[in-house]
Amino acid sequence: MNSTLTGAVATYLAQVRAELSDLPPGELEEVLDDVAGHLTEVAAELGQAPTATGLQERLGTPSQYADELRRAAGYPPPRRVPADNKAAGLALRWGLIASTVGPFFLVIALLGRGRDVSAFFGLVGLTALVVSAHLGVKALRGQSPRIVLDTPRGASTAAAIRESIDQIPPNVRRELVTIGQPVWWVARGAVGGASFFAVFGANAVTVVGALAGAAVSIWIGRRTQQDARWLWYVVPLNLVAAIIVPAWLAASFVGGPSGIFNNYTASRGSSSSSYNPPSGLLLDGVSVSNIYPFDEQGRPVHVRLYNQDGQPINLERQDCAMQSGNPPQNELSNYFPLVTVQDDPNPTVDADGVAICKDTDKAPFVPPPAPATPTTPSPTPANSVTPTPHPSAKPSATPKPGATLTVPPTR
Amino acid sequence: MAMDTSQLLKGVLDLAVLAVLRDTDGYGYDVLRRLRAAGLEDVADASVYGTLRRLFAAGALTSYVQPSEEGPHRKYYGLNKTGLDLLAQSTKTWNHFADTMSVLLQEEAA
Repeated sequence: MNSTLTGAVATYLAQVRAELSDLPPGELEEVLDDVAGHLTEVAAELGQAPTATGLQERLGTPSQYADELRRAAGYPPPRRVPADNKAAGLALRWGLIASTVGPFFLVIALLGRGRDVSAFFGLVGLTALVVSAHLGVKALRGQSPRIVLDTPRGASTAAAIRESIDQIPPNVRRELVTIGQPVWWVARGAVGGASFFAVFGANAVTVVGALAGAAVSIWIGRRTQQDARWLWYVVPLNLVAAIIVPAWLAASFVGGPSGIFNNYTASRGSSSSSYNPPSGLLLDGVSVSNIYPFDEQGRPVHVRLYNQDGQPINLERQDCAMQSGNPPQNELSNYFPLVTVQDDPNPTVDADGVAICKDTDKAPFVPPPAPATPTTPSPTPANSVTPTPHPSAKPSATPKPGATLTVPPTR
Repeated sequence: MAMDTSQLLKGVLDLAVLAVLRDTDGYGYDVLRRLRAAGLEDVADASVYGTLRRLFAAGALTSYVQPSEEGPHRKYYGLNKTGLDLLAQSTKTWNHFADTMSVLLQEEAA
């Protein structure tokens, strides 16, 4: 029945469970069954989604609740596990390894250049993190995670953390928890999810990864509130996120990214990755290999094309020179139509009997009649010039065999 | 120092819980509600649940689970023979104690 509890109620129950964790397992389950029923009833009285504060006003803190229960039930006073400092120390040490070695490699993976490097270090970091976190939890040997606070190192660390938290004014602290925490959960999850897919080579699904990551992160956050053993995994991952989230934000604002953040663009044109978008000019995803401009009267014209930034719209040349053994230096051109190799059924052969390559800039299609759209706003339709299409009009420029561009194509 | 009902309750909570379960079995929150309805508003929630567990452990109560229409199952508690005996015996002790106190207080007042 515990599974039906959510939110603050589930957290409260988990905290009561932690307080009573020294009870024999059977009795613990029995009494928590009652407590869960109790919390359900109280939650129903308080309204749909009771807050932690609401529950505490009604029932006292989980610790007070547990103490009262313990006294009334005649359970022995809580054992302050003094003995197992060794297990606690070991658990703490594995936790520290998980929070140093794992994040170290993961950050290298996320900020490093090159997909293979990223994937390698990502794998190393993730493995180190998960394995040492797992060993840390195992080292507890089923005891409450709180025992690490009884070790000297754990106690001093906890004291230091508490001290720095005390520096924050209480109202700011409350704001941080109520607003900052959900935002952080979503941010770390989104960035983590996106990074995971980016590092392991699936750029296309990074958005899905980000959404899934955010959901998983919220779930993990909830779980961690109820079961402190998750901290062995969550603390190292939070450290990674604390480095990566700002880096990600910086990258998206500054636009001077490194590592995975620019893999998507950096890999364009290189043939090493199979995740390249097709290179060249695309229209609705279809490759455009040549452009044949016609003027209003349907006559073929030659143009240079530039994009909105003044960058030439270059396409790879397809003329005879490109087909020859030594292609020209400048393989790109924005001078359209690009000259193409003429498909000659009766090729002229040279002295050696080899077909001579001929270039042409003639469109391999008959241009459709020009649409009657007025080029200038002409309010008098009577005056509108209907361009007479000359579908059979001979292209004014007769293809000259072997013609090459006299103007240097781009510059 | 004014007397605090919650202090008094500690001594007689067992008896009160047994009393509200005498006629009808009930789950934890039932017991709590019955005690409140009977006028014991100061009873602390957790102590009632603790008392139920202790009486159960002492063999005075039976417990069984029943599915409820409104949600999760509920664990009901009821008196068995031992519980009824304990209730009878405790009632006698209480009555004797209450009588003694009443007499004492009346003498003082007179």
